[in-house]
Amino acid sequence: MMQEIGVVARKRRATVPVRWYMTLGVVAALVLLPRVITTPYYLHLLILVLLYVGLSSAWNLTGGFAGQLSLGHAGFFGIGAYASTLLFLNFGLSPWIGMVVGMLLAVVAGAAIGYPCFRLRGPFFALATLAFGEVLRVVSISWRDLTQGSNGLSIPFKPGFANMMWHGKEMFFYVILVYALVAVGIVWQIERSRLGYYLIALKEDDSAARMLGIDTTRCKLYAMLISAALTAVGGVFYAQYVGFIEPYSVFDVNQSVQFALISIIGGLGTVLGPVLGAFIMIPLSEMLRAAFGGAARGFHLVLYGLILMAVVMIVPQGLALEVKDRYKRWWMARQSAISRRKGQADAV
Amino acid sequence: MDLMLGQVLISGILLGGIYALISMGLTLIFGVTRIVNFAHGEFMMLSMFAASVLSQQYGLDPYVAVIPIAALAFLAGAATQRIIIQPLLNASHASQIFVTMGLSITLMNVALMVWGADFQSVRTPYEAVVLPLGPWSVGVPRLVTFLVAVAMMVGLMLFLNRTYMGKAITAVSQDRMAALLMGIDVNRVYVVAFGIGIACVGVAGAVLTPIYSVFPTVGQYFALTAYVVVVLGGFGSMVGAMVGGMSIGVVEALSGYFISPGLKEAVYLLIFIAVLVIRPSGLFGIVGAEEMGVK
Amino acid sequence: MLFEVKGITRTFGGLAAVRDVSFRIEPGEIVGLIGPNGAGKTTLFNVVTGFLPPTRGEVEFEGQRISGLLPDRVCQRGIGRTFQVVKPFGNMTTLQNTMVGTFFQDADPRRAKRAAEELLEFLGLAHRREALAKNLTIADRKRLELARALGTKPKLLLLDEVMAGLNPAEVADLLGLLREIRTRGTTLFVIEHIMAAIMAISDRILVLHNGGLIAHGPPRQVADDQAVIDAYLGERYLIA
Repeated sequence: MMQEIGVVARKRRATVPVRWYMTLGVVAALVLLPRVITTPYYLHLLILVLLYVGLSSAWNLTGGFAGQLSLGHAGFFGIGAYASTLLFLNFGLSPWIGMVVGMLLAVVAGAAIGYPCFRLRGPFFALATLAFGEVLRVVSISWRDLTQGSNGLSIPFKPGFANMMWHGKEMFFYVILVYALVAVGIVWQIERSRLGYYLIALKEDDSAARMLGIDTTRCKLYAMLISAALTAVGGVFYAQYVGFIEPYSVFDVNQSVQFALISIIGGLGTVLGPVLGAFIMIPLSEMLRAAFGGAARGFHLVLYGLILMAVVMIVPQGLALEVKDRYKRWWMARQSAISRRKGQADAV
Repeated sequence: MDLMLGQVLISGILLGGIYALISMGLTLIFGVTRIVNFAHGEFMMLSMFAASVLSQQYGLDPYVAVIPIAALAFLAGAATQRIIIQPLLNASHASQIFVTMGLSITLMNVALMVWGADFQSVRTPYEAVVLPLGPWSVGVPRLVTFLVAVAMMVGLMLFLNRTYMGKAITAVSQDRMAALLMGIDVNRVYVVAFGIGIACVGVAGAVLTPIYSVFPTVGQYFALTAYVVVVLGGFGSMVGAMVGGMSIGVVEALSGYFISPGLKEAVYLLIFIAVLVIRPSGLFGIVGAEEMGVK
Repeated sequence: MLFEVKGITRTFGGLAAVRDVSFRIEPGEIVGLIGPNGAGKTTLFNVVTGFLPPTRGEVEFEGQRISGLLPDRVCQRGIGRTFQVVKPFGNMTTLQNTMVGTFFQDADPRRAKRAAEELLEFLGLAHRREALAKNLTIADRKRLELARALGTKPKLLLLDEVMAGLNPAEVADLLGLLREIRTRGTTLFVIEHIMAAIMAISDRILVLHNGGLIAHGPPRQVADDQAVIDAYLGERYLIA
């Protein structure tokens, strides 16, 4: 991603605005989408896609940029969901404020699990965070007085902006669209900043990074805290949208896996990766379920698992980088073809 | 009170034997390849189904079915390593972890497709037999499981220490690069280790069918616990798996008794995190390897 | 006095890789460190820059104790270092690699970029600024390592075999650059095996053998030292 910006900026200054126009175009199209797509099912699908764009982008900060593969981000997701829901149910506190509380709690949890565990390498960090998420799940099931245990919590439907609830899906769509844009925007901003450079550096070579004055633990911590906070926000929106939360869905390992999976398929450590991944994987699993769900129980998931394995084995660096590579190669080839033709024309 | 506590301890130790049996294959695989295999539980689940099917179709006792199941499991493990994991040995951790996750999803849902979600049970004539041990009692299937775990531990230790392949496996566990330089065919070692590891979990699956019901997601239930045991005991160490397994079994039993049955998982998970932070090499493992990844 | 090493010892189990080494480095000097393979030179660097804690002894920089500090803290005090086996950030470009260094002085990406571009000009790498570091030649990688370390504007720069693998023309170029770096105000502490280079550039040379300092002085004196000849040089080394 970064060398692409460099190449584009150096080659033709006029090209940079094109990228901006493209992004603006996409955003405008998304904003207008609910006008075009009125079927609730498709709108629901889009909302899910955008929600996961946000959640996976958040995960990508820790997993892709800092290189710490977390399988416990569902913990932050659930903290956000439960914090805002409990405050709303017990004190009538607006979920917008509950969101801030959820973010703070997630940040504390993120520091607590991250700080001691950052020096653990790949699979060990993954296991530690997995355990973290599971502990939260077990505790939330057990602490019935607080959370109603596995019965879950239902949010009574009281529409209004302060309550973060609306009739229909349109308003949710816009709110979650903003969430996705903010999340992607934050990641994009970090990538170009010193923190972004430092994160990529320490992921490449920890010793070399340290010798350049980088406090690698502190950088990873920052990434983790921002990641945790953003994930918790996603949890709040999820709770309000679905209207019901329970330990098995918000603190689920599979939820953590989903955040990671989307980023990995799309491309770790890239801004576009989670976006691409979400736009591909969510509709894909829905399509599979729609097409094969009736055939034999679990068949669509067998296909899903096989596709996942195939993608990871064939395109391990993620689809975003693969697409970018091919685009660059096509562009370079086109450039040399143009200059060759020009040379021939000049010769004549 | 003492009587109750004693019984709790005994069931904890026996539970530990179960955990140890499941984890021994995993510690071997993890010790050699350093890949977190998320499909480990699913291989166990499949061998449980195999035992169940053999029992229903041919009346084969699970303790006898162990042998063909172990052989099949070995082949399955070797194939998995060769076809799925080997191409990714130099890829990122993320890729390795996620390919096994994909495998886990696939296997679980294949089982769902073939056998449905209903619980199956294997009935044996001795499953309810209880042997007296002083004032306490010990269930026969659990006792057999415990003994099989011990036998597996001894068998694996002999294999690792006395045979060429075993020593090669140990060498690769300690330093892959050095082993390569010594002329060891590392890829072949990985395939054999994976095969043996899955064979072990295949044995575990078959032996556990008199105790646990069989259903497609049963593997998930044990998978995380197996990792806790492997880390606590120190990956690569068979004795570690035994001691780690028994420790977790006892901790779980005692937490269930003293604190609350709902929180016993949380207790050993917190211990797990503590071990990872304080002494990631576990009780008997190679110190330092966990921070450097695969050498 | 800029840099003082007092009785540094580092043991691994029973083996003393570095044994009771003491010396000083004054500002503006170029000090060379030579010795046979396994003498403990890189270990000494690792101890002094915080990658390994000393078993005994202390290191002081500008009058303050730095032994026991982690590498990033050591860098923050004003010490930079290159590695014997170069460690480029492979998937970043030459420019981005250098920026990781210059970000130390200034968090603003534009200014960091400008400073990085100046450094690349200085080191003759500007023409490769968009190349991915993993695609650079070994000579360019060494220069990149140097550029990156210089980005932090260190007062003292430790160079570990920065000339290894270079041909004589490249060595001569690099020597010129090092002299320029010293002129611009950075003190240099250099491990090197290429005798011609180290003898030509150093004000003083330290000789390490089996972990201990066996000689210490101006190049000519060290070249004539019998202990050094026995341990390392092999025959009387003629300085042109």
